[in-house]
Amino acid sequence: MSFNTRGLEVMIAENDRTVLEMLQIRLSVAGFHTSMARTGPLALETLRNSRPSILVIDLNLPEMDGFEVLEALQPRCGKLQIPTLVMARKLAAEDIQRALRLGARDCMAKPFSGADALDRVARLLRKPTPPTATPPLAPLSAKPVVYLRA
Amino acid sequence: MGAETLGKTRLETSVAAAFDVVAWEIELAGARCIQLDTIIGELLPSMPIEQRERLLEGLHTVDLLSQHLTGLSAFMRTVSEDASEEVSTPVSRALADVTLGALANRLFTAFGGEEEVVRDLPDAGDVDLF
Repeated sequence: MSFNTRGLEVMIAENDRTVLEMLQIRLSVAGFHTSMARTGPLALETLRNSRPSILVIDLNLPEMDGFEVLEALQPRCGKLQIPTLVMARKLAAEDIQRALRLGARDCMAKPFSGADALDRVARLLRKPTPPTATPPLAPLSAKPVVYLRA
Repeated sequence: MGAETLGKTRLETSVAAAFDVVAWEIELAGARCIQLDTIIGELLPSMPIEQRERLLEGLHTVDLLSQHLTGLSAFMRTVSEDASEEVSTPVSRALADVTLGALANRLFTAFGGEEEVVRDLPDAGDVDLF
């Protein structure tokens, strides 16, 4: 992990206990704080009380699926406030489009490895570098500038 | 109790799903190895020098085990993707052999067993031995 994870919280919304525990361990070892929910309503309730740095959500949550959770999180205007990584088994093209329309930043098809999941989370959290870097200004000369008269 | 109870429930799943469930479990075991590896690495500097070499040996073993599990998990994931969804296999008898409570409970629900059945069962440790 090439960046500082201190103070960053990942919320994992996943019903499968094995996947949930695996992600929780991998993220904790990498230095993230984690919070978890196993159903859609629980994910929403957790998100009402906390503001994680990133949300990792499975689309096939019971009681309220991942799409419904993302819809409920939509602000009146603008984009989803929390960087969101969506995961699902057999992600169809329309699922990916719908998730992206709802503000998700990335989609990950199951099955995946713990290392893959960690990479995706890190990529979403890494601050984007400015597209055009301005070259640093030349240091000021200590000598006063002398204008020569023709 | 525990695994025995779960084994009495007739469960069947596709071969692909069975491999997928096992792949996730191996991935979880690998994650635990990485966690253990990290903990040993953190403890290493505070250990007396004479014990460090032994601990370092352990660290290498855990690292090897973690890579072993990562390889197996990747293998099982691909096998699961290529395996048939049409062919099903019974899993109840195999589940009865899983004596670790938490693992048996997770496998039971992953294979379609009702979560209510495992809710009251012991979740950690070897339910048949302890």
